[in-house]
Amino acid sequence: MRAIEVRGLRKSYGNFIALNGINLDVDEGEVFALLGPNGAGKTTLIRILAEGLSYDSGEIRVFGESLSKKTARLIGYAPQESLAYDDLTVRENLEFYADLYDVPGKRVDELIERFKLPAKKKAKELSGGFKKRLNLAVALLYDPRVLVLDEPSTGLDVPSKRELWELIKEFREEGKTVLLATHYMEEAEALADRVAIMNEGQVIAVGTPEELKRLAGNESVIHVEGILRGTEAILREFRAIERENVLRVSVEDARKALPKVVEALVEGGSEIRSIRIEEPSLEDVFLKLTGRGLE
Amino acid sequence: MKARAVKGIVVKDLRETRRDRMAVFWIFVFPLMWVTLLGAIWGGSSPPVVVHVGAVYFNESAPFTASTLIGIMENVSVDGQRIFRITRYPDESAGLKAVKAGRVDVLLLFPQGFGENVSSGLQGKVYAYFDRSDPQKYQIASGVVKGFFSEFEREMAYRKLNITLGYVEAYLPKNLSANLSPSMLRAYMMGLIDPISLREEAVKGERPSPIKFYVTSFIGIQFLFATMLTVSNLLFEEIEKGTLRRIAASPATAWDFLVGKMLSTFIVITASILIGIGYSKAVFKETVFPGPTGWLIIALSAVFSMSLGLAIAMGTRSMKATNALVNLLSMPLLFLAAIVIPESILPRWARPIADYFPLGTAVKDLRLLEIYHRPPSEVFPDVVWIAINSLVMLLIVVLLYNWAIKRLQ
Repeated sequence: MRAIEVRGLRKSYGNFIALNGINLDVDEGEVFALLGPNGAGKTTLIRILAEGLSYDSGEIRVFGESLSKKTARLIGYAPQESLAYDDLTVRENLEFYADLYDVPGKRVDELIERFKLPAKKKAKELSGGFKKRLNLAVALLYDPRVLVLDEPSTGLDVPSKRELWELIKEFREEGKTVLLATHYMEEAEALADRVAIMNEGQVIAVGTPEELKRLAGNESVIHVEGILRGTEAILREFRAIERENVLRVSVEDARKALPKVVEALVEGGSEIRSIRIEEPSLEDVFLKLTGRGLE
Repeated sequence: MKARAVKGIVVKDLRETRRDRMAVFWIFVFPLMWVTLLGAIWGGSSPPVVVHVGAVYFNESAPFTASTLIGIMENVSVDGQRIFRITRYPDESAGLKAVKAGRVDVLLLFPQGFGENVSSGLQGKVYAYFDRSDPQKYQIASGVVKGFFSEFEREMAYRKLNITLGYVEAYLPKNLSANLSPSMLRAYMMGLIDPISLREEAVKGERPSPIKFYVTSFIGIQFLFATMLTVSNLLFEEIEKGTLRRIAASPATAWDFLVGKMLSTFIVITASILIGIGYSKAVFKETVFPGPTGWLIIALSAVFSMSLGLAIAMGTRSMKATNALVNLLSMPLLFLAAIVIPESILPRWARPIADYFPLGTAVKDLRLLEIYHRPPSEVFPDVVWIAINSLVMLLIVVLLYNWAIKRLQ
């Protein structure tokens, strides 16, 4: 069964078109990722689904029913920002939302236990990881069938990120549908059954991570790490992304391209730490489809 | 309306307010400072008025002179406090200079021959020069000085009458009719001197206490300033944090949200008012505890003020702007609506504000009820006026809430 169906969804803010005719199907029980850079329209789409943000045209169905206050109860939403009131304890925050959604008080205890939350700690004293957990607990208060997560791992350190991913995997095992928006391709690859790549208010590709990677064709990626200088020539000649101390160059024939890449870097004065040939990632697919990186 | 959602908002807001030190200061500490300060300044009974009198007179050798009169004046006292502070000046120009410089409130000029005339039973002339630049000061000085002279003249007239009657009785022929008897003549002459006898009797009435006045001011501050500030901050925090969007997306309606916010604020303000009332009783031994009509007025006024605060928070784009606008609106109104000062000292142009601005009307009625013990029926039309205004403001706020939610999206 389709958990979410979106047809021809358009939303604009003045002259800025945030969503330009989105079509999307999310199946029940799958983890579906919206992958795209900031400003691609992911949060707008999510807020329409979860917060009732108005839209210009299009149709949205949740488990076959048109989106309304009634269907909102089927969707639990954990936004990017913390939903917690700083001066309230974890328990008090959950109690507040339980009152708002008319959820029995014992559900608060269940969620505190499940997410191992420090019940008596004030929200302002929580680490980033616990704040995200509290957001998830709020989203799950009324046991929704769909969980919508906006950039769930933004701002988290690696261990907290891993813990969060484990929780999301647990939700899938429980049969919940998870729709997550992210601009981290590794998050989409690690969690999603299917991924929709979004750019400038449009869905430009949908499929499993493997299907999407096939869009890159026979390409492979030269992954270089180190203190890199003289990358301008490579960025001009190849489809490549440079981020911090990493350069990823998409090429059709790695054996031919590799010497050219190395030569350019050495001439530029780079100190190369490692070079490897990899299969293309979702980010490389995004690069191929849009001509730019995810961040 | 969803009672549980309302309860949730109320409990959450109360917890947040209790833990916010700034809120605790403005809601609980600041008003107590206000009551303490004003109570300390105005709390004691007011001392009698003192009039500064300049006197210019000539030395004379008559039995009764200007100097004698000034001496009597100097000794007039009320409750042990001398009323006139006399400064003697050598001539008219020095005395007038003192009046113009504000060193004395009035200059009394006794011309040469004053004592001779009065001692001989003739009319004595006195010239009084008042500084009229301050009408209130002039009215007080003029009233007190003229009152003194009026009493003094009466006393002199009675003394002259007694002397005259002594002669009449000694020299009046004994065979005159009963209509010309000495007692008849005395009564007739008393009627000439004192045609109407105003007899003053002291009555121990309830004096409007300054402390009680300032307790009602404190209540006014709470429902004008503190409610507006508290509710607007509570709302703006929700806007800034993004939780308002979440609440709007929840099953809670606009009414649930607004009623929750207003109830939590009203509980906080009521607690604050009760603390202030108790504090005044403990420190100054005087207080005002509103009756049911008083509390109804407080509740209605609080709804008006909170609606205004919510409207401001929804119409502004930052907490700073909200606070600035709340202060800009409420601070002048505390004075112009006669909440912290008596209406009698308001300038004429500000009177309509005190009469028609619902919160000004509310404080005025609260004073009528709780200080002057007027019956509730006397303030009923005002209660209706406040209720209508509060309802209109509330409806405006519901519309604004829906608009604000759309704007946030």
